[in-house]
Amino acid sequence: MKEHLLKKDNVKALCIKASEQWETYVPAEVTGADVHFMRLNRNNKDSILEQLNLDYESLVVPPKVILYPQLESLFEFQDENITETVKPPVKKLLFGLRACDVKAILFMDEFFRRSFEDIYYLNKSRDKLLVIIGCKQPLDNCFCTSAKTGPFLETGFDLQLVDIGADYLVEIGSEKGEEFINSYREFFDEASKDNIEIAKIVKRDAEKAVSLKVDFEEAIKKFCEDKVPQQIYETIAERCIYCGGCLYVCPTCTCFNVFDTQSAGSGARYRNWDACVFGGYTREASGHNPRSEKWIRTSRRYEHKMKYDYLTTGMSGCVGCGRCLASCPVNIGISQIIEEVTES
Amino acid sequence: MKNEYIPHPAVIESVQTESFDTKTFKIAFEKKALAESFDYKPGQFVQVSLLGVGEAPISIASCPGRKGFLELTIRAAGKLTRAIHQREPGDKIHLRGPYGNSFPFEEVAGKGLYFIAGGIGLPPLRGLIKSALYGRGNFGKIKILYGAKTPDELCFKEELKTWKQMDNTEVYLTVDEPNQSWQGDVGVVTKLWDKANMTTSDGIAYVCGPPIMIKFVVMNLLKSGFKDENIYITLERYMKCGIGKCGHCNIGEKFVCTDGPVFSYAQLKEFPDKEKTIT
Repeated sequence: MKEHLLKKDNVKALCIKASEQWETYVPAEVTGADVHFMRLNRNNKDSILEQLNLDYESLVVPPKVILYPQLESLFEFQDENITETVKPPVKKLLFGLRACDVKAILFMDEFFRRSFEDIYYLNKSRDKLLVIIGCKQPLDNCFCTSAKTGPFLETGFDLQLVDIGADYLVEIGSEKGEEFINSYREFFDEASKDNIEIAKIVKRDAEKAVSLKVDFEEAIKKFCEDKVPQQIYETIAERCIYCGGCLYVCPTCTCFNVFDTQSAGSGARYRNWDACVFGGYTREASGHNPRSEKWIRTSRRYEHKMKYDYLTTGMSGCVGCGRCLASCPVNIGISQIIEEVTES
Repeated sequence: MKNEYIPHPAVIESVQTESFDTKTFKIAFEKKALAESFDYKPGQFVQVSLLGVGEAPISIASCPGRKGFLELTIRAAGKLTRAIHQREPGDKIHLRGPYGNSFPFEEVAGKGLYFIAGGIGLPPLRGLIKSALYGRGNFGKIKILYGAKTPDELCFKEELKTWKQMDNTEVYLTVDEPNQSWQGDVGVVTKLWDKANMTTSDGIAYVCGPPIMIKFVVMNLLKSGFKDENIYITLERYMKCGIGKCGHCNIGEKFVCTDGPVFSYAQLKEFPDKEKTIT
């Protein structure tokens, strides 16, 4: 499909215009130096867009939080009568995603569709438009070129923006993406051959800028063939404090706990993110706990990403975003595990 | 798209005390149409809710042939199940399901059926046992080996007596800690092996109980000539959703809630050892 141009000076106006029709999320530097995806609304749009940061290095919290909130109500009740709280689908524009995070969203879409459909996630995810801005300055922790999840994608996005200076070159990845451009024609120009050539160079340079390289395929192979020495898990188990932080910030982690609250006969059932490294994650009411030992929980945590996800979907649950290492208080990250496994 | 997380209101019709910590609840959906149409297979489970307390998976103990109600045999083991034990006939409860796979049944016509249960492991097999007993003539010998900690903790005490008197059916009971009136066997369920003459070449075994019991029962079954694919085990795991989403019950790439809870030993053997499926 044809490439377009979007002037950087036009981005804010486009987002404001689009937010009239779309629930629009943009990356903004709202809490100190941390960048989060913020939803534009009538009252906050000017202040959010003032803090717009499209050159961010990484979102501390992955954008999964928009589609799969850390805490969400499954239903409410008064005495014995249930009121559903699931909301109908709303058109969502996620503007300025990184390629790795888009891969993660596609992974979650597949997961929540599989076997039983999860209406809470799927209603939020259904009518979304994914707009990538390819990463130019990867962090030291990222390894998307090894995981084949970035810094740019070939498919999976609706629009993909390449920073070519004063403009973004806009690649169209879907019919929805093309419709979006047609609806907001006034913000887009036609791209020239030169623009396209520059974009190719930018992409190549972006790939080169990813300095951390791991042998991802070899690691997947070893995990799938059960060739990971137990010693690796035991060594991690000695250092890991089992805080679950790496799993909360993992863009593909989907596990949740469910709990009820109640006061004077009315209340709600909620689900909230859970983490398989927690000691109580598999503990039954009888006290029996199949993963009572720490190293077993550690092996589950990594094998889920590197083996079971791969065997089930053909795609690893690790997208190489580097968040697990960035968030870890004791400096453990999946990239290190991959290195240890491939060297073992 | 169906909202699988919304449970349906139901009413407790009666409560039968099985032991000091176990009760059987007869439950009917409030909506007549749902009560009549609710269909399930032996081995499946439902998610049982008390609003404001929580939700847990409980296997269905009744026989699918009986329409209009379900029976759930529940041990007071945690916060939710203790609260359920406080409920009385006429009280409301919420259910959703049925979930999970089921025991092979029609496929095993003509074969001898061997049920081995420990403690609260008999209720998940009860629907299947009753289906087999009522469908008598379709199967060979039926043997039921059941062990519990004490005589009080044996579930369905009266039914066990009835089953014992049925044609071509043998029931063997054992307890770990007998009381003065106990006249049966003493010891773990595998102690019944020789007495029950468990040797077979094409029998089908259904096993449910604590992990350590399953381990020793499977060892004995294999020694007695049962084939890996003819041994069926129903597993218990901590679960939150019952529909393959919350992640808690996963073993390898399988979910106990959607791929199980019934697995053949041939399948179970392939699970990673460290997941301690049976220890």
